[in-house]
Amino acid sequence: MSEIILEVKQLKKYFDTPKGQLHAVDDINFSIEKGKTLGLVGESGCGKSTTGRVILRLLEATDGEVIYKGRNVHEISNKEMRELRKEMQIIFQDPFSSLDPRMTVSEIIEEPIKLNKIIVNKEERFKRVLELMDLVGLSRRLINVYPHELDGGRRQRIGIARALSLNTEFIVCDEPVSALDVSIQAQILNLLDELQEKLGLTFIFITHDLSVVNHFSDDIAVMYLGKLVEKASAEELFDNPIHPYTKALLSAIPRPTLDRKVEKIILKGEITSPINPKKVCRFADRCNYAEDICRNTEPHLEEVSPNHFVSCHIFKE
Amino acid sequence: MAEKIKTVNLKNKNEVAKRSLMADTWRRLKKSKTAILGLMLIVMFLCMAIFAPLIGDYNEDALKMNIIERLQGPSLDHWFGTDEFGRDIFIRIVYGTRISLFVGLISVSIALSIGGFFGAIAGYYGGQIDHVIMRILDVILAIPVILLAITIVAALGPSMLNLMIAIGVANIPGFARVVRAAVLSVKDEEFIEAAKAIGAKDHIIILKHVLPNSMAPIIVYATLKVATAIMATASLSFIGLGVQPPTPEWGSMLSSGRAYIRDQMHIVLFPGLAIVLSVLSLNLIGDGLRDALDPKLK
Amino acid sequence: MKDIILDIKDLNIHFFTEDGIVEAVNGLNINIKKGETLGLVGETGAGKTTTALSVLDLVPMPPGRVMSGEITLDGIDIINASEKEMEKIRGKIVSMIFQDPMTALNPVIKVIDQISEAIIIHQDLNKEKAEEKAIEMLELVGIPRDRRNEYPHQFSGGMKQRVIIAIALSCSPKLLIADEPTTALDVTIQAQVLKLMKELKDKFEMSMIMITHDLGVVVEVCDYVAIMYAGRIVEQGSLEDIFRRTKHPYTEGLFNSIPNIDNRKEKLKPIKGLMSDPYDLPKGCNFCDRCDYVMRICEEVAPEKIFFSDEHFVECHLYSKDQSYNLSDHDL
Repeated sequence: MSEIILEVKQLKKYFDTPKGQLHAVDDINFSIEKGKTLGLVGESGCGKSTTGRVILRLLEATDGEVIYKGRNVHEISNKEMRELRKEMQIIFQDPFSSLDPRMTVSEIIEEPIKLNKIIVNKEERFKRVLELMDLVGLSRRLINVYPHELDGGRRQRIGIARALSLNTEFIVCDEPVSALDVSIQAQILNLLDELQEKLGLTFIFITHDLSVVNHFSDDIAVMYLGKLVEKASAEELFDNPIHPYTKALLSAIPRPTLDRKVEKIILKGEITSPINPKKVCRFADRCNYAEDICRNTEPHLEEVSPNHFVSCHIFKE
Repeated sequence: MAEKIKTVNLKNKNEVAKRSLMADTWRRLKKSKTAILGLMLIVMFLCMAIFAPLIGDYNEDALKMNIIERLQGPSLDHWFGTDEFGRDIFIRIVYGTRISLFVGLISVSIALSIGGFFGAIAGYYGGQIDHVIMRILDVILAIPVILLAITIVAALGPSMLNLMIAIGVANIPGFARVVRAAVLSVKDEEFIEAAKAIGAKDHIIILKHVLPNSMAPIIVYATLKVATAIMATASLSFIGLGVQPPTPEWGSMLSSGRAYIRDQMHIVLFPGLAIVLSVLSLNLIGDGLRDALDPKLK
Repeated sequence: MKDIILDIKDLNIHFFTEDGIVEAVNGLNINIKKGETLGLVGETGAGKTTTALSVLDLVPMPPGRVMSGEITLDGIDIINASEKEMEKIRGKIVSMIFQDPMTALNPVIKVIDQISEAIIIHQDLNKEKAEEKAIEMLELVGIPRDRRNEYPHQFSGGMKQRVIIAIALSCSPKLLIADEPTTALDVTIQAQVLKLMKELKDKFEMSMIMITHDLGVVVEVCDYVAIMYAGRIVEQGSLEDIFRRTKHPYTEGLFNSIPNIDNRKEKLKPIKGLMSDPYDLPKGCNFCDRCDYVMRICEEVAPEKIFFSDEHFVECHLYSKDQSYNLSDHDL
């Protein structure tokens, strides 16, 4: 049985805005086992990207704990955090803006190693860079090329090589394939799969693309307006979605098939504001099943069947 | 999201050479005829400044008075004629180039380093730090550059050093603003976040990632500010608060030549032309650089 | 005999740039009848947007140039039309919706005025009547009339896209070209917008070109599908033809690249290599260096169109000798 490598407890991230307090992430709880992938899905404004960044302490948490290998990431010193960063990395969505346009491919991949003084010898460092390029499928010919000269798929591979350059064990993938063409997406997903097997990596896979997350994740957590509304294994979530939002989300996916026309659940209205939200179910305004209790009290995440958690007053099974 | 970047077919390139981004900028700069003109002019001035001793001796030709030859118009002996003290105007302009360029470059360097430092800190950290720094600089910015320079020189006494300090200090807020804006435009980019994620400390991020990627507006601004510094030098010297006679400086040459403007116009014409051309050339280069460095204009 | 709204014959558009010549659109043939929706599917650089822009004569020329071909829209010769004539056509006979709703609206003009503007240009109505019609359009796309005086930044992405649809349809065009209209939207909003587009299409009896890279979206709204690669249509047919009787290796590759929702652990089979360099297309078939079925002839000779029915054709050498050749079965 795998050990739990990451535990997130009652995590909150609020932003102060002129209009009030923006609850980007509000009381999130989950844990991930080593070597597995947790998919974090939701639409814009749900707080998934913010969650990813708070986990890596690229943003400070407002409250709650992020426990990586037994240590609370937000309570350690800056120096200790820099040490941890060698194990916890991130792959960004935009393969263009996440690479310094003034650095060549090899310089970008080499930088983490150089900065952290992992390999001090220049030649050995270069060898490691070449190894990493081979690992992610980048041709060695590209060492002196600038990112803007390459296509999205290759640029994303640079980002992956960079993330792996230290003793990485845990990677937050923030929409790593959303900006890529379909055929390239598949190449990168296969690469990530391979690397996970080879290196025993643990992933948090943040995305809005449900077919991709289904394929790639072991467990999936669905977020809505900063709250976690449902969490289950990927299979269970797709076979047996319980929360109305999850059901609507799944039905909305355009399926490239002529068989099985799924009746689409069309949600009414638009997403409500995450600023100073009331302590009620945040989905109530758009839910076709909302009742009074939903508009008065906040639901909490409950385990309705083994490893299947739902936060809803009405649907519990 | 669809991306509109040209795919590079690397089958045909065997070893991709390291193409400098500077080479790219140079290639685009070459396309502007006005920028090339500006470049040629400034190179001419630079040569005059560097090779001045080869053209004429400082003490013998630029400073030594020669009353017999005074107020002569342009001739083969004296290309630009002589001034009211019989000194060769051409040689004086050549040596004057040294002063103008020197003061221009040093004062801008002072303003860039100090102003840039504060601007970068204000831009990168934001919040209270930003407020405090920028409000202090706003106070200085509220005073017209010339007026501020005059005040400083009047307090410290007229000399070339004080001139450089005065113009430098007066330009600090401007540079702080430009560098702050440049830093702001880059610091929220993902590759900056990426640098944090791999454990880079703040000062490394600013020096290695933020500044190199925000250089473009700073370079353009600095070029144009050298031009205004040259103007300021000439202006201050003109009113007697800068370089003191007999040191040949374009502005003070203009000033002392005022009395002769009707009949011996050459005394003011050539220094005036020197000022105009040097300022013009820098402005042309600055404009050309702005276009060459703009990634959107391909 | 159904009206043919759009007839594109053998269109070739090249871009003459500093870095070389881009063969953006090559030998394109499209035929759309009244009320039909054609899905134009392809990845970045396939030439879909250029094709769409050419129908509205909005391809920047220079550096673009129509090398040859004809575009006939509702009987009008587009390529030879003057700018003045085009101004009357755009918005009235053909309208276009672009991908990014965030930047397509003027941020300093009220939403209602942006819709009225389109109406005033094309119809002889005074300001009040135009505004009345604009309010109708707003409600038609599901935006309450009391929000009409708001500015674009006050609207969400989905609502902005609806405003854009309202503008596009305000003069009842015969053809609507939608360039990836829902790509930038959340999936639940996408469902709303696609449903709206389908309803409006039926209500106005409009023809539509839906440009997308998402085969799922194609299933939702399209009758016919054209698969584009490197400026050419490599396969075209009805939904059934493309989904059930896939012929071209690229089409098959696209299907294999998408994770199958119903079979999550099925390994993805991406298309190897990268999009062909538009500055340097291969001599024979554009797809040959990425194709799993490549033969010698593919590298030398460009494939001809082979028809399986009136509507279904493919450009591929695999079928030149034997029309009944089958690509390896893939389950949908």
